[in-house]
Amino acid sequence: MTAIAGTKFLLWTIIVCGAIIVGVVQLSKSGKRIPKIRRIAGLDSIEEAIGRATEMGRPVHFTPGLSDVTAETAPQTFAALEILSYVTGLTAKYNTELIVTIRIPNVFPLAQEIVRQGYLAAGKADMFKEDTVRFLSSEQFAYAAGVMGIFHREKVASNIMMGAFWAESLLFAEAGAQIGAIQVAGTAAMAQIPFFVAACDYTLIGEELFAGGAYLSQDKVKLGSIAGQDLVKFTVMSFIVIGTLMSTWGNSALIEFMKK
Amino acid sequence: MRREIPLAITFVVGMTILMSYFFAGTIPGTAWNLKNLAGDITGWGVLVSAFAVLLASVNLVRIHGAAISRKRKGWYNSGILIATMVAFALVGILRKHNPANTGINDLFQNMFNNVLSPLGAAMFALLAFYIASASYRAFRARSLEASILLAAAVLVMLGRAPIGELMWGQFPVISKWLLDIPNMAGQRAIMIGAAIGGFATSMRILLGLERGHLGGE
Repeated sequence: MTAIAGTKFLLWTIIVCGAIIVGVVQLSKSGKRIPKIRRIAGLDSIEEAIGRATEMGRPVHFTPGLSDVTAETAPQTFAALEILSYVTGLTAKYNTELIVTIRIPNVFPLAQEIVRQGYLAAGKADMFKEDTVRFLSSEQFAYAAGVMGIFHREKVASNIMMGAFWAESLLFAEAGAQIGAIQVAGTAAMAQIPFFVAACDYTLIGEELFAGGAYLSQDKVKLGSIAGQDLVKFTVMSFIVIGTLMSTWGNSALIEFMKK
Repeated sequence: MRREIPLAITFVVGMTILMSYFFAGTIPGTAWNLKNLAGDITGWGVLVSAFAVLLASVNLVRIHGAAISRKRKGWYNSGILIATMVAFALVGILRKHNPANTGINDLFQNMFNNVLSPLGAAMFALLAFYIASASYRAFRARSLEASILLAAAVLVMLGRAPIGELMWGQFPVISKWLLDIPNMAGQRAIMIGAAIGGFATSMRILLGLERGHLGGE
């Protein structure tokens, strides 16, 4: 087995960053250093959104985005599924109807299992119905049309959109605004963040989405990984500052090192 | 075991694919070529996806089948959906098995070009109106942040539209500065944060620290 040229730096980056994250997770797991996450308004608002739907006696809509679990945007989908787990628990607690719409067939069985298990754990297995998790279409705009139709027909009171989105993000957000739904969105898709900020009540921007699972569950392991992630971020920021200064002074040693 | 087996599969498959990016040749002590193994795993992924499509299609048919049989409001839309799904699937299968049959090929192309594409384009076109209505709400100067957003948006619009340059030659310069400096700095900060967040999430999944997607946690 031989190393492929030009990938050495990336491999070591993954090993070092992975070691930092695992190290901090272990510290947190052992209880030596349990990190705290700052308040994230978008995540706190999920309970408010579900509470409002409960008061109105209308359903909550959740979409885990349009990305597959095998694409490069997959972490966003996994982060969204973590939040779905929390949303299911809350809807079970408040006896509120939940509608989960799915675009990607691979995500469908995952979402179905999360919702089914969530209701089972809350002792409300009967709340899970055939149409709680709905596959609409794998075509982007057919899916968008389906979601918008559900908004209007079923008069959802709250719309929670987490994960990777593309051009349909504003279609969802505006259709939700038209029916007066309280809307919470979260994505790391750079081009869609402005649309969500403009049209939704609360928006999780970029990495806030990935912190969702840890923030909502307050699980020590997950909190540790978020703290580890912050250490990695600090390391990357140091590289950016050092690299900028070195390049400014005409020294390309760091750039050459990173190309190895 | 219900959790351990999926976690073990995730780790082995994930590590194999990851390592195939960094190393070439056979895995030490075995005759397995890393690239071939990664290729095989990707192929298995396609198979799993095919089953997922089947599961999803069954869900679609059951929900809409129930809507038709119980004559729910708008049940005929469910009928149209199922009929269209069956028609597209049949034509697609026939086309796959009769590649030389120009009639079926033309029918498939016509269905795609004259049904699916225009419907998709119509949905996409709605965006133009939605951008206007979302902008109207977002740009109302209700707070300091919204006022800054409004001022920046007006300056960028004036800098991008020909009329802005006619009014004052500095509008394009200000617009370019806003886009290239504060906007780009903000975008990069979000991108770097999101990339590291994505990496940490991937690590958690690979190492089995994040199990929410398996349900019940």
